[in-house]
Amino acid sequence: MDVALSNQFLIMKKLQYLFAIALVAGLQACKPEETFDGPNLEDIYGPFFIEETLTISDDSLDLASGETTQFNATFSKNLNWKLEVHGMSSGARHVHEEFSSKVDFSWNGSTTILPMFRQETCEVMLTFDNQLDTLRDTMEVLSIRPLQGFVLSDFESGLNPGWAPFIQNGANMSFTVRSDGQAAQGNNYYDMGGAVTWDWLIGLIDMPASAYNVEHFPLSNNANNVFFNAMIYKPSAYDNGLTLIQFREDDNGDGTYSNGVEDLWAFEISGGTDGWSTISRKYEDIVTLVNGAETTPIGNGLHEPDKLVQVSILFLANPASGYSQAYLDYVTFTEGGPLQP
Amino acid sequence: MKMKINHIPLVVLSLCGVLQTHAQQDTRKITFVGAARAQFYSDNYNSYYEEDTVTTAKLNSGNTLVDLGVNIRPNPQMEIQGMVRVRNDYGGFWGAGVSFDVRQLYVKGVAGGIVRYQLGDINYKLTPYTLWNSNQEMISGVPFLFQQQTNVVNYDHFYSNDNSWRQQGASAEVGFEFGKFIKEIGIKTVATRVKTSDFSQTNDRIFSGINISVIQSEHLRAGFNYVNVFDIYGTSRSATTFHHPVMTATFGYRRKTGGWLHSMDAEAGRSKWYYTEEDADSVPAWQGKFADAKYKLQHDGMGISGGVQLKYVSSDFRSMGAQTKRVNFNGPLNAFQRVGNDQALRPVSMIDLMRESGLYTLQLQTNLMAFNPQYDNITPYGEATPNRQAMILSAGYDKKNMPVSGQLLYYRGQEVRGEGTTTLRNFERQEANVTFNAKNYLAGKDRDALVSVRMRNDRTTRQGSETVPAVDLSSKTLTAGIDFEWKKQWHLLAAFQMLTYEGFEFKGVRDENQEIFNFTELNLKGSEQLASIGAKYAFSEKSFLSVQYYQFLNNTNQLDQALYTNKQWMLLYQINF
Repeated sequence: MDVALSNQFLIMKKLQYLFAIALVAGLQACKPEETFDGPNLEDIYGPFFIEETLTISDDSLDLASGETTQFNATFSKNLNWKLEVHGMSSGARHVHEEFSSKVDFSWNGSTTILPMFRQETCEVMLTFDNQLDTLRDTMEVLSIRPLQGFVLSDFESGLNPGWAPFIQNGANMSFTVRSDGQAAQGNNYYDMGGAVTWDWLIGLIDMPASAYNVEHFPLSNNANNVFFNAMIYKPSAYDNGLTLIQFREDDNGDGTYSNGVEDLWAFEISGGTDGWSTISRKYEDIVTLVNGAETTPIGNGLHEPDKLVQVSILFLANPASGYSQAYLDYVTFTEGGPLQP
Repeated sequence: MKMKINHIPLVVLSLCGVLQTHAQQDTRKITFVGAARAQFYSDNYNSYYEEDTVTTAKLNSGNTLVDLGVNIRPNPQMEIQGMVRVRNDYGGFWGAGVSFDVRQLYVKGVAGGIVRYQLGDINYKLTPYTLWNSNQEMISGVPFLFQQQTNVVNYDHFYSNDNSWRQQGASAEVGFEFGKFIKEIGIKTVATRVKTSDFSQTNDRIFSGINISVIQSEHLRAGFNYVNVFDIYGTSRSATTFHHPVMTATFGYRRKTGGWLHSMDAEAGRSKWYYTEEDADSVPAWQGKFADAKYKLQHDGMGISGGVQLKYVSSDFRSMGAQTKRVNFNGPLNAFQRVGNDQALRPVSMIDLMRESGLYTLQLQTNLMAFNPQYDNITPYGEATPNRQAMILSAGYDKKNMPVSGQLLYYRGQEVRGEGTTTLRNFERQEANVTFNAKNYLAGKDRDALVSVRMRNDRTTRQGSETVPAVDLSSKTLTAGIDFEWKKQWHLLAAFQMLTYEGFEFKGVRDENQEIFNFTELNLKGSEQLASIGAKYAFSEKSFLSVQYYQFLNNTNQLDQALYTNKQWMLLYQINF
């Protein structure tokens, strides 16, 4: 055997041992894991019982001063549970759902199903998926949550005298502030309704910045940070209403909007579920619309909320579709995120 | 010591060799290649559950097709092939039911005498953990009679015996020879397009791979593989891109001592599977690893062999090139898709796997695909099945000129990570395969006479608790076949396959991010039996006419209407040229 072959043989022999050692070491390292994939089967098949019943840390909540309350409970296993706070006079609801073996939830008075909570007694209810048990308690809301952002109107004081409403001369026109217990926030809301057989437009409100004694709305220049919010009610009897919201900018800084020269942003709301809902739009996401279709911007094409001079809310419907109606409440700009009602 | 490269001549590349050999044998620059096939089914469905007055019991279908290819060799270093398929469904006249498709298009050759390349359609494979087209369940390795149907499915979907995936893209290979220490280094690269942009939310998705193999000597070799499936950012409006790299190292050792050949093969590696996007937390990232080592001992003279394999594949190991299944168990059925008076969807059965084209995948899939636990609960994704650690023992006997050959396999495995519990499933498989070739016992010894029998027992168990039921699912498969050439070129064929399964199993339900979010209870009990006889006339090695009669019985508790038989006549004419 020559030297080269002998060397090669030695190398191979060493590699054989190395391979065996690496194999044993590798297999030793590959031990079963302590964790597991997917939901715990014990949670699915294990018995359910309540270990610690539902407690409420503060059952008299002063929302206006920023108070929060803490809900706690523990159960024998992880499962889907639902905690619901129900305003007994307003009908407001806050619903929180989770998959866990305990309730450890802090509530600041916010609402998931409008209207917003008022000064009222609330029922608290904790239910579980596939279990008959329900835990109940009550608490008091002593004051309502403070208004958020730059509020254009919550209609509590009627229409702003600086606004310029236009209402067509149609049938059964109802552009008026109502106070009949149906408001999404507070006591009042704006009822927009009517039948106009010759035009899509039923009525509108122009809300110029001058109505608030400012040249431009006091908003940040960061369009990604500014949100327009409104609460809109769709009656179950009418699906034909369309709410168009327009934003006019003073691109050239002369204090006024020049039609066909400066940016006019807009978005539409139609359809949706019956009842109140909160509409929020990031200012950056609002586009230019012509007859409902997106088109190129008219002005400099920049979303500049700090140059906003007028917000217009138009209520429209197909002239052939007959009577149409929608309610409006709590129109506001927020910064940093959408409105948390 | 610094290695000195004495010379780096071009390794005589296989294709180059093929091309040259081909050129020497056939000097024609243009040749026609292809295949023709006529296939006709006559089915008769019969439900035993109740009087089924809704399902149409009899179904006739079939088609004739020609795959016509032109192979052009403009020079000895280049080959171009294009193939079109003309298909006419039975009952289609005057253009109705006729389709024309481009089936194959590629250019290949050797550039500058150094780099072997191929552009267009490529059949490519790497290793069982990186790019590997694993055989489908139940109908692989079946007797010849069943193979006739499965071969049709495999041919139509470009599934080759070498477990390669048909892809579309480009590949290149280069090799170097050395004088000392290292005999040869080969480098292979491939890039194919897995998904096409819709210019909206779907990016172009590319599969790319590189393989570096080092052959130290005839005894020792090592390799490195890196494959990556990734989205090309900017090919759509989506800011989210998918990334899925898999990196492995391979090692092989062969040594002959006396009449015994010792061989050791090992592969180990890691994988990642993730999306990059603004909200990165919404989609989990999967990082996995695996190690696989085999030792095999073989004696040529005695014909006996034995082996042991140890493997570990972590629960999070993902390799879409190796884990994509051929069968999409959620795919649509053509024959008797809905059955019973309620017209419930008919579950996929063994006979469907043999003939239903719509069940088969052509492209690599991002997520783990669905599988049928009763068919294969142990290795549903082939060697790369995640969440397995196992020892596999094998033994075989296959001696030249001996009429009997056989293989035995014993698989004992366990999960790496539990599903829904820390208790692990245990897996056990016993498999035996025996073939008896009676050719030498027949007069003339020039006719085929093969008898094959195969048995497989699979069992999955997991200990239960006070509240969680135990898992215990077993499935048994018995396969037997005869191929008897009773007269020169005339074959009598018979085959039988029976699957019985029974037990309880939890099936993990995965979301679009592959996370198990729920479990489905499977209370399985049933059987499938497929019996067939047929005759074949072989015009030549490349063409035959075959007529077959199948009787299939399906009995499962999964669906009330699923106790049924399907009697099927099939006529198949196949010619390759």
